[in-house]
Amino acid sequence: MTKIVKNSICLVVIVLASFNVFGQFNGTNLVEYQFGEAPNDVNAISSIYDRFVANFNYKSFRSDVTLEQFYSEYDGSNYTNISQFSVQYNSDKIQVKLGNFYETIGRGTLLHSFQIPGAILEDLSYRSRHYFNRDILGASVKFQSNNFMTKVLYGSPLNYVFPPNQNSNLRRSDTIAALYSEYTYKNQTLGAAIMHHSNSGNEKLFSMITLSGSISPKISYYTEVSKNIKNNSINDFSDAASYAIYSGVNISLNNIGISAEYKNYNNFLIGSGINEPPALVKEHTYRLLNRSTHVPQPLNESGYQLEAFYTMPNLSVLTLNHTKAINKFGQKFTFNEYFLEYDFMLKDKHDIKLFIDYAEDPFKLEENRISTGLYSEWKAGKNSTIRTDYEFQHFDRLNEGNVNQVLSVGYAYKSKIIGSIVAEHSTDNYLVNSGSKYWLGANLKYKLNNKHSFQLFAGERRGGPACNAGVCYEVLDFKGVELRVTSRF
Amino acid sequence: MRALIIVVMLFSILNVSAQQVRNFKLKDIENNTQSFTQLKGSKLTVIDFWATWCKPCVKAIPELNKIYEAYKIKGVEFIGVSCDGPRSVSKVAPLSKTLQIKYPILLDINSEIKSELNLNAFPTLVIVNSNNKIVWVHEGFVSGDQKLVIEEIEKLLK
Repeated sequence: MTKIVKNSICLVVIVLASFNVFGQFNGTNLVEYQFGEAPNDVNAISSIYDRFVANFNYKSFRSDVTLEQFYSEYDGSNYTNISQFSVQYNSDKIQVKLGNFYETIGRGTLLHSFQIPGAILEDLSYRSRHYFNRDILGASVKFQSNNFMTKVLYGSPLNYVFPPNQNSNLRRSDTIAALYSEYTYKNQTLGAAIMHHSNSGNEKLFSMITLSGSISPKISYYTEVSKNIKNNSINDFSDAASYAIYSGVNISLNNIGISAEYKNYNNFLIGSGINEPPALVKEHTYRLLNRSTHVPQPLNESGYQLEAFYTMPNLSVLTLNHTKAINKFGQKFTFNEYFLEYDFMLKDKHDIKLFIDYAEDPFKLEENRISTGLYSEWKAGKNSTIRTDYEFQHFDRLNEGNVNQVLSVGYAYKSKIIGSIVAEHSTDNYLVNSGSKYWLGANLKYKLNNKHSFQLFAGERRGGPACNAGVCYEVLDFKGVELRVTSRF
Repeated sequence: MRALIIVVMLFSILNVSAQQVRNFKLKDIENNTQSFTQLKGSKLTVIDFWATWCKPCVKAIPELNKIYEAYKIKGVEFIGVSCDGPRSVSKVAPLSKTLQIKYPILLDINSEIKSELNLNAFPTLVIVNSNNKIVWVHEGFVSGDQKLVIEEIEKLLK
């Protein structure tokens, strides 16, 4: 750690702590220790990651600082970095942010920033670990009244692919300046945005229009159209144009809820990927389906998603989902998915979830993919539950049958102690040449109180694509021991 | 490495004053802008940070509905803050209505309020007192947690 960084940290901590007399000083700390092997590792290595977030509030002002540190046996991947620092002013009508902040314009077709709670990202190229977020370094001003809202922002979004020990120009190669305003009249909102984007000397100008609202208490809608207007005329929606169209309608009829969405994205990847048009692909929490998700391609994708919920009088919930996504990259790829889930209580105390899913995913060469599973939580005594989960998946790839399975058995005592053993099996021909591969791991979570919790993992964990809070990323396989301690203060 | 360990130890044992909730404004599922001050309870406010894709969150809702019905006459209000991002926000209104959620549901598409309060899990239940100070935080939801919520509300109402 350099002397300057060390002194800066001490100064921030001392200043914030001393100001506690006048305002409030709060924060969180997440520390994770790993001893084990990632793919391609010959020997197990140890590493420690820490993320410390402190906030200071005084009347309408707020200040935040995030300190990230990572140390392992690979010197080149180590760092101590103040990765976020911000000052905010909040009043009933005005919000001013300076430093690192999060902002999304509309539904994200132009700009989407986010922070995935608890997710630590690791990449095989850098062998460094960092928190998974895309913030913006700059300034924003927002004015909000009951019917009118406008915000102006300027800054550089983070390219989270690069860890904090990489050059800041590389991590923040995009610069944006944007203005978004919306006006609401009788539950109908009309919004408009204009955004200037530059990256490595390339400059682009984007516009966006949104229309949303409620037609009745039972029907609401949302439409967003974004375009690159620097190189194309505003009414050009040809194959060469750069645009994103998203539209959705929601219908609620007593116990039935329906959501229908449509997308059409063409040449709409902005800069290093600072935008994230709505995926319109169901985000599954089931392990195998989450890993099998279709990742949308803003360069060319059209399609729709239909989802219906039916809540029965006994509070059982039936969910149906159908997704279609079409990509044209020289040839046409059509992703199709049909999902059905039934969540119900057995004897008023045992929680059961059943699902079945059918999909065709030509990008991954997966044909006739069938996934099914049973998740059960058995009430065992006053404060204890036993959990048994099983998932099975079969698909054809290159004329070969492939199978994935997950079995998990767990026990929970209130929210205090939660433990589980997870076993996975795969014959996926992208992972194994012949035969099978197995993963076996154990998780234990102990919540000391509402401020401190401990999570221990030991064994082997299967990696692959993962989607969390609407954002998809790659998780590495891991074999070893991992301890995470989370604290609030 | 030594500095890291010292910082970790220092902040793991720190116990500082209660955090405060500012008067945030968000749109509800009917497209109306609502403020925390408009919706807060006279004695306590329970804020549920949830998302449609989070199974324990959805499982908790019928239980929270029951607790809300039992305690609203005692000055306890509930607010559901959906942290669904652009990918799943369209499902908040139909799911909320089909689950017949009785309390208001606000849309925090940027997870701005959740981040301000340093919350890192779904669902997270936060109880706020009449001075807007956070007096209880509970992460996750398993069977039986509804009793913990009731116990805490009872304790705080005394």
